[in-house]
Parts: sequence; C-alpha cells; structure tokens
Amino acid sequence: MNDFSELENELKKLRPAQPSPVLFERVEEAMGVSPARQPKRSPYNWLSLGLGLAAAAVLFLFATINMERTQERWEKIAQISPAPETSSVLPERRNGSGGSTSLNRFIPTGATQVVYNTRDEGLQFALGSEQPLRRLRYQTHQTWQWRNPTTGASLRVSYPSEEVVLIPVSGQ
Amino acid sequence: MRTWQRLGYKDREKVMDNVGTHENWKSCFSEVAPGLLLFARQWVQSAADAEDVVQEAFVKFWRRNHNIENRALLYAAVRSIAFDFIRRDKRRARREAIVFADAEPAIEPQFEWQDETQSTLAAAVGSLPHDQREVLVLKIWNELTFNEIASALGISQNTAASRYRYALANLKKSLQPQ
Repeated sequence: MNDFSELENELKKLRPAQPSPVLFERVEEAMGVSPARQPKRSPYNWLSLGLGLAAAAVLFLFATINMERTQERWEKIAQISPAPETSSVLPERRNGSGGSTSLNRFIPTGATQVVYNTRDEGLQFALGSEQPLRRLRYQTHQTWQWRNPTTGASLRVSYPSEEVVLIPVSGQ
Repeated sequence: MRTWQRLGYKDREKVMDNVGTHENWKSCFSEVAPGLLLFARQWVQSAADAEDVVQEAFVKFWRRNHNIENRALLYAAVRSIAFDFIRRDKRRARREAIVFADAEPAIEPQFEWQDETQSTLAAAVGSLPHDQREVLVLKIWNELTFNEIASALGISQNTAASRYRYALANLKKSLQPQ
C-alpha cells in the first residue's frame, strides 16, 4: 500500500463536483421540516389495528378467566338473590334503603367490543345520491359486564354483532 | 454558498450518527452529498440525474432512521436506486435518441480540478473499469472502510480491497509518462 500513498494523497486533493443549491431545497421539500410534516399515511394502520385486536383479545380472555373463578361465588349469591336487579345507586340512596338492597345492586364495570373481521365491500351509490360511499362491514363480539360491589357477584352478557358503515368518498 | 470540506473519520462517524438520529439532517446532507453524488455519477451520466438518485436515497434513508451501523446501507440505497434509474432511463433514452440524434452529449465533470495535473488525474479515474472505480470512489471520497464497501456493493471484503489495489495500480500506470 505504501507504493500508492502518494497517489492516494493526490486523489484526496481532488474535490468532487458540488451539488446544486437546488438539491438541498428539493431534499428539504421531500423530507419536510419535521417528521410530522411527512406525507400523511393511510388512515388504516393495519399494524396498530392488529395490535389493538390482539390486546382486546387478551383482555377478553382475562375477563373470561376471571368470570370462571367467580362462578362458584356467583352461584352461591344467586341462591341468596335469585332475581338480581341492575338498579342504579342513586335511586337506592333516595329511597333510604341502600343497606337492604345493596345485595341486589349491580353497577356496570366494563364493555368490550372486539372487532374480529373487517371487510371492505367496495363503493356503492345510495339511492338518489351522486356521491359514492364506501361500504365497510365490521364483525364484532360485544361483552357487557356488571358487578355487585357488596357481594362481588358479576354478570356478563356477550353476543356477536355485525355493523355496516357507509363512508362518503370525497375527492374522486 | 455551501462549501465542501474533507472530514476526518471520527467527524464522519458523527455526521452519519446524526443522520441516523434525525438530528440536523441538513448539515449531515451537506457533508455527505458531494461524495454521494460522485458515487451516483458512476452509473448515471448527468449531474441532474445523479441528484435525483441521491435525493431519493437520502430521503428514504433518513425516514427509516438508520444508524451508523447501517452506514453502508445509504450507499447501497444510492446504488440500487441508480440501477432502477438506468432501467427507466434506457427506455427514455431510446425515445430521446430519435429526437436528439444529432445533438452532442453533454458530459459534465465529476470533479472540480484546479490544475492540469488534477484534470489528468480526474480523466484517469474516469477511464478506470467500472468495478474498480466504484470501490475507489467509496474509499477515497466517501471514506468507507473495506467492510462497509463490501456491504454496500454486495461483494466480499477481499474483493473490495483487491479492486481498490487494482484501481490504484491502473491509475499509476496510466499516469506514468509514456
């Protein structure tokens, strides 16, 4: 390599041609001043949607396990209170009979909606409308939960549901 | 007016580190742009086309937030985008050849030389075989290590080093008085 050191030094003195000043402006424009100014991404962030669904599924499983653990307790309470009511806290207080009815008092503790399938059914035109609409079908599983704070009993209702959403498409 | 100055290796690491961390990309770009352009000019004829290639590569690199460990990736991106450009350009060239059949092609210099010696040296670099020239450009004017050159070009480190030596040997030979 020593044979070439002089040549390497000569080469290093040679300066590459300068980029045009316009290039900096073009790169700046392409890049944006900050990442926030970068081109807007698609509103459908599939990764986030996937993670959200996974998180919802985990929560759902956790709630299911919790329910199984309290099943025995629930059966015992059901014997004491065969017809549980879902009356709210406020009316009971007004009646002044909170102590006696607290066993029957269930308060909402959670609601979960797990979207497990989304289908884009394409564009369509509503009757009498010239604006196209995108038809999206969501298949979900909804779960509602109530809990009796006194007895610890909980009530859960789950059911599948399907929702069709029409989104106006603009700029076509 | 921006001026180009040679960076020491450590300075260069800092510059590339800044590129990776999204900090002050303008100063990063002003430092690396001449070398990147020279590298892109190994495939595309005009300076304007080389700037297109460098712009696309740098913006992609910056947005993906690569760090110093992926420095070779920036040069690999320039190379890859230049290849894509050549493919597109071939089709364009065929169309333009019909229109500009009699026009003289404009060859823009890749270097800024100050005297006759440097002009001769630049011409000698330009006449090197392509595979040797791209290694020389990455080593001398972009200051990449042989490991990084190997990674950027998809060749082995030994091949990169031997191409570099061949390039220097060929240059020395061509610069010797006849």
